[in-house]
Amino acid sequence: MSVVDDEDATLRERLTDEPGPALRVFAVVAALVAVEFGALANLVMSLPWDAVGTALPGFVQGVAATLAGVGDALAGLPTLLSRSVIDNAGYQLPSGEWEGTFMGLSPAIAWAIRVVLIYAYGFVWLLVGWWSYLVYRDNYRHANWAPVDDMVGRFRNHSWGLFGLAIIFAFVVLAVFAPALGPTTVDANIADPYLHSIEFYNEETGSVEEMYVGDANGDSQSRGQGGENVGPLSYDQYDRFHPFGTLPSGKDLFTFMAAGARVSLFIGVASLALAGGAAVVFALATAYYKGLVDLGIVITSDSIQAMPQLLVIMLASFVLSGTWLANLYNGGVVLALLFGLTGWPGLWRAVRGPALQVSEREWIDAAKSFGQRPSVTMRKHMLPYVVGYLLIYASLTLGGVIIGVAGLSFLGLGINAPTPEWGRAVSAGQPYVATPSWHISLLPGILIVIVVTGFNALGDGIRDAIDPQSDVDTGQQDQSAAAGGGA
Amino acid sequence: MIPIVFFGTTITFVILRMGPIDPAAAVIGASGDTEAYQSVRRSLGLDQPLWLQYVDYLRDLFTLQFGYSWVVNRGRPVWELIGVYAPRTIWLGFWSVMLPLFVGLPLGFYAGLNPNTLSDYVASFGGIVWRAMPNFWLAVIFVAVLTQSEQLFGFQWESWLVETNIVTPPDLSELWVPRNFLGAFKAILPAALVLGSASMGNEMRIGRTAVLETKNENYVETARAKGVPGRKIVYKHVFRNALIPLVPIITGEAFLLLGGSVLVETVFSINGLGYLFYAATINADLPLVGSLMFFFILLSVGINIVQDLLYTLIDPRVGYGGEGA
Repeated sequence: MSVVDDEDATLRERLTDEPGPALRVFAVVAALVAVEFGALANLVMSLPWDAVGTALPGFVQGVAATLAGVGDALAGLPTLLSRSVIDNAGYQLPSGEWEGTFMGLSPAIAWAIRVVLIYAYGFVWLLVGWWSYLVYRDNYRHANWAPVDDMVGRFRNHSWGLFGLAIIFAFVVLAVFAPALGPTTVDANIADPYLHSIEFYNEETGSVEEMYVGDANGDSQSRGQGGENVGPLSYDQYDRFHPFGTLPSGKDLFTFMAAGARVSLFIGVASLALAGGAAVVFALATAYYKGLVDLGIVITSDSIQAMPQLLVIMLASFVLSGTWLANLYNGGVVLALLFGLTGWPGLWRAVRGPALQVSEREWIDAAKSFGQRPSVTMRKHMLPYVVGYLLIYASLTLGGVIIGVAGLSFLGLGINAPTPEWGRAVSAGQPYVATPSWHISLLPGILIVIVVTGFNALGDGIRDAIDPQSDVDTGQQDQSAAAGGGA
Repeated sequence: MIPIVFFGTTITFVILRMGPIDPAAAVIGASGDTEAYQSVRRSLGLDQPLWLQYVDYLRDLFTLQFGYSWVVNRGRPVWELIGVYAPRTIWLGFWSVMLPLFVGLPLGFYAGLNPNTLSDYVASFGGIVWRAMPNFWLAVIFVAVLTQSEQLFGFQWESWLVETNIVTPPDLSELWVPRNFLGAFKAILPAALVLGSASMGNEMRIGRTAVLETKNENYVETARAKGVPGRKIVYKHVFRNALIPLVPIITGEAFLLLGGSVLVETVFSINGLGYLFYAATINADLPLVGSLMFFFILLSVGINIVQDLLYTLIDPRVGYGGEGA
């Protein structure tokens, strides 16, 4: 309980009043950031600062250059979970000893240790997030009780929803830590294999030799019957470990998938932020003003929905290919925009009902009657009610977007070619499904199924938590679940 | 309805004509002949001001003059292309609506009538996974498994019952001959199963909850108290009411199939409308693309009307003219 019982105390006042718990949370967060600080700095430095820098006036550029130097130095700091600390690249001597790997362990085990550590680290973040919510709720929140508490409580007992959350958590960690999780990096193995080299022990000459990754990839291809094959959880002839096997081109499938997860997650989240934002704004506006505004948006959204979503995206992404927009994030930005622009009507329809409901309540009337501005009324009195519903449908739609993106890249559209995307792996493995190289197509597909099921489960869980009496399946929601245009 | 068609067509026009793609350049290809380029521009009407192009575009589409294909199948009227390609898509779409109805719904009803049994869990979980599967991936696996069925299961799919190929368009001639019908059905079966997979999962889930909900309604209890036999209760009181929430799902899916059919048609090499649209898109055959999109918009509006009609058939309380879903 808060010591202050002053009704009007702001959050800042409540914090300064009782800083203990907040400081503890802050200390833990700082420690967590510190062990990964290098990776974070690296991420910041990898943004296209040059483009920003040239736009700045001269003297700021000097400052920026110094900053960039500091940033580069920070990016070079060792991080706990990077591959340089726990290295899984090495070679085996005839004596069975491993050279170059973490503590002389075999690459498989070194890689597994890194994966476990990364997931543990992610899990700690999850716990810290939950803990800081509790600290906020018990110490600093103005109200003793809020409807959200009940929803959170219901969700905690919803095993299907928690299962979904666990899967999404695993997926997000895979996407966020993609560079550290893969047994090798996209740069070295997929993008520029001839700019990187590996060391291996040559049995014929009996010495350690160096060769290009590209040449090594040529000997680790998976080409089904009769050809070479490097299956899941196996080593190729250069002692490189492949958790998911290799692609037909000899590149590592796990690295490919992890990088692809990043792309999928980015497109999914960005497009939903766009679509969800538009949906909420329109839903609030239509529920508040009704009449002509409502009619106009109904017609607009109906017209957008009258065109098959996947076909429109296909067409628009083709039309836009070759423009500067298509090169942002290897085409990811365009796809996110298109999925957002074509996806908002579905979300809007889903939250329009709740928004209309809440607009009929007395407190809206009351707010109107004492002259509160419409935007404030919408934000303070209507938005909290609508957001929960938005979360449900956003979760259900995200799975659809992931499938849609994969479907487009399966056709060779959307994400530009060398960038990893799950659908491209399915397409690469298409001729080898019923051969020993089955993993190329099957593993990405199974991952998509698991992730999409996870998002559906999470959506179900949120719905049951928000509205336990809801009629469980209304048509609307399942239509949005099928978003992605039925890819 | 009219404003929707109008707006949709306008959006298509904006994408096609105001984007960075030059239709005339796509028509003449890489040859770069200025003379030809100019004449193509003139015959496409591209040298006119944009608003005039827009008016012409709308006038042509609304009078159903779809024009000619320029790249994919040069010089052929779009109507003729639709006539060739559409039947395959309709055949595929028909079965991918029907199969889930006859497989997913009964399973869902069965699960709803026997809730919390093992078979309910199996069916429900299967529906959830089935729903999450990407169509194109499922299609790839179906093709691979069926072409190798000899080695994998010891029976050959291609020669089973009737001789069919797996990755060719179905032969739709003389469907009234039972043998041809069977052949066409068998040829489309895997593709329809794939395309209908998501619907099957959906319909099963919804069927299950609908039955669970109606099962405990008062009128069902009354009927049971009156001594109406169990089978009759299910058919007359549970089944019919459980259908109502399914109508928008089914029609909505019928529309989704149009978009999804691109991928399935590509994998199974069924040269249908989806494939035609894809081919027209990647070849920048903009006149064809515009006309096809208009055709799709008309279809979707048509499906909406059918949906409202279906409501009045199933639920006598709804009159036509009321707002649909």
